[in-house]
Amino acid sequence: MDRSYKDLLKLRRFPHTWCPGCGIGAVLKNVAMAVKELGWSDKNTVAVSGIGCSGRMSGYMNLDAVHTPHGRVLTSAETIKTIRPDLNVIVLSGDGDLTSIGGNHLLHTSRRNPDITVFCNDNEIYGLTGGQAGPTTPRGTKTITSPRGEPYSPLRLGHLLTQQAPYFYARTTVYHLNHFKKCIHEALVWKGFSFVDIVSDCIELNGRRLGFKTAHQMFKWFDERFHIVEGERDHLGENELGIARAVEEEVVPPAEKVEEKPEIPMASLKPFTLEELHRFDGTGGKPIYIAYKGKVYDLSSSPLFQGEKRMRCHIAGKDLTKDIDVAPHGEDLVFKFPAVGRLV
Amino acid sequence: MKRLVSGNEAIFQGAVRAGASYFAGYPISPTSEILQQAALYSEENPEFRFLQAEDEIAAAIATISASLAGAKSFSATSGPGFSLMQEALGWGHVVEAPCVFVNSMRVGPSTGMPTQPAQSDLLQIKAGSAGDYYPIAFYPNSVRECFQLTAIAFNAAEESLSPTILLADAFLSHLYEIVDLEDTATEVVPRSKESLGRGQRLFTGTVHDKMGNVKTNDPEIYRRWLWELKDRHDRAAEKYPLFEYLPRKGSETLLIAFGITSRVISSLKDRFSIFRPIRIYPVLEKELNEVTRSYRHIIVVEGSDGQYASWVECAICRKVMRVPCLGGGFKLRWIQSQIEECLRGTTK
Repeated sequence: MDRSYKDLLKLRRFPHTWCPGCGIGAVLKNVAMAVKELGWSDKNTVAVSGIGCSGRMSGYMNLDAVHTPHGRVLTSAETIKTIRPDLNVIVLSGDGDLTSIGGNHLLHTSRRNPDITVFCNDNEIYGLTGGQAGPTTPRGTKTITSPRGEPYSPLRLGHLLTQQAPYFYARTTVYHLNHFKKCIHEALVWKGFSFVDIVSDCIELNGRRLGFKTAHQMFKWFDERFHIVEGERDHLGENELGIARAVEEEVVPPAEKVEEKPEIPMASLKPFTLEELHRFDGTGGKPIYIAYKGKVYDLSSSPLFQGEKRMRCHIAGKDLTKDIDVAPHGEDLVFKFPAVGRLV
Repeated sequence: MKRLVSGNEAIFQGAVRAGASYFAGYPISPTSEILQQAALYSEENPEFRFLQAEDEIAAAIATISASLAGAKSFSATSGPGFSLMQEALGWGHVVEAPCVFVNSMRVGPSTGMPTQPAQSDLLQIKAGSAGDYYPIAFYPNSVRECFQLTAIAFNAAEESLSPTILLADAFLSHLYEIVDLEDTATEVVPRSKESLGRGQRLFTGTVHDKMGNVKTNDPEIYRRWLWELKDRHDRAAEKYPLFEYLPRKGSETLLIAFGITSRVISSLKDRFSIFRPIRIYPVLEKELNEVTRSYRHIIVVEGSDGQYASWVECAICRKVMRVPCLGGGFKLRWIQSQIEECLRGTTK
């Protein structure tokens, strides 16, 4: 077995801080293996992580690593990619960090679609602080802050992150190893924002309360709960493991509506004098005419003039050429109406 | 070329002069114009990047991350946004990210009186984030100074390896003056920190030793880290003991004012001596002690309920009198009457 991925780990800092049986070790190892396979090194890769057990992952990577305040990991990663597009930016963090306190940043960073890869160690609990319910905790789960069972439905990340193309959302577990490796690799090579939701176990602070004796029992539980779906998918169902991705929808700019009105030659229009025009002021069922730049327009169909001799300061039956200077609209409003004559 | 420039534009141009290549911000009066300037400038200069973030939290984190990634970066906001940025400000001190935060103050707390000017975020620059830290803060009082001090703030940031703060107020942000920015000389300190992708360092907000190893149970490491931080900041701040002192012969009263209040009371310089601190934090202890020694009465005129006055009292170990200009009221006549009242009180 190729053990060269160990170059990417700070082995001098081992043993690490995580509990025996925790899934984070598997995440760290497999990400390191995938990064090594792609030939990335400390010269072109940066690891960014947030707070929590999984936030410690970046500190064990032999890379330049940034350990951000709680929840701010995505903003930080996006900015690093903006300033240094030559760097590969990987985010190693947890579900509480990314989806709860960092929920706003998750929405907006995914919308801006920077080329970063996010590995979310989704253990459905706040582990480091002792096992409080989080936004990904399944409904009904008993935790130390939901002693009668979590009352709310969990956040559906699969729905949230696939609502708008382009997207890359993969769900896998630390138990389904080959699928897990495949998801990591696909996410790393995806151009754009890619999110791998890795369902992981927290045996000490979640599993035991749920009645599991060992981490292995939790893995078996993942096997019962989830099943792998093959092939290209747009979306993933509730308990499906797989990759849902979509490339950018082609943006078709809305075609500009250009209504061409046939130009009526001046000479063919009926001549009006100002006195004649003055009679068409809408009174007694007569049409409403106004003059503009030498032409006479029929404004009878205007909803603003309806049944009135005037609309604000515009008086029917007058030459309104000078009114346009003080009007809040342009002359295109006049041209919408049919020309019926010319002013002589 | 002389032209009409606003305080906000001068701040932006000062940052560009200092070599800034990243701006992150969120719209807030009275600094939205800086965000707008950044957007326009980045259109024409693709090497200048900007982000209109989803909130000030993200804007501040982006500013510090950009600094770690190798860009000179800055952000601008007002009091309520600055409150959201406090988390990142603390982080910036621990990960040693040089950058600049502009806080153009308005009446608070909370939304307060948008957008009336105030000077009430002085404690927030020093104590808004958790723990001990020692930011360097400057406060200009003219458009030209906005330009110069922004550049100086960038230099102080590089020297102290931390975020520095440029204070302003809503008056100053929207103050238009005729200045020649191209002709204004500034010194530029080059980038002091190696950018990311050069090794195996860990930039963490957790207390760590020199190697970047997280050490969370050793008070000795923490003490050593904090004293080093303080020492670095003191050395950087010492280079910029900026103040303006207008002595008035025969005056027994010294007025202390900064920012827009110093402009308002400048016409009182024929009656009183005036001292204007430009470096707001660390407090100019030595200078204040020297200047205040020869005065019987010291009156601090400021746009808050004695935030700077309490620092002055600590620095010179003496009681001072206060004229707090609250709620955006900076009328000279009112200030004058308050000063008279203070002085009457002492002769009784």
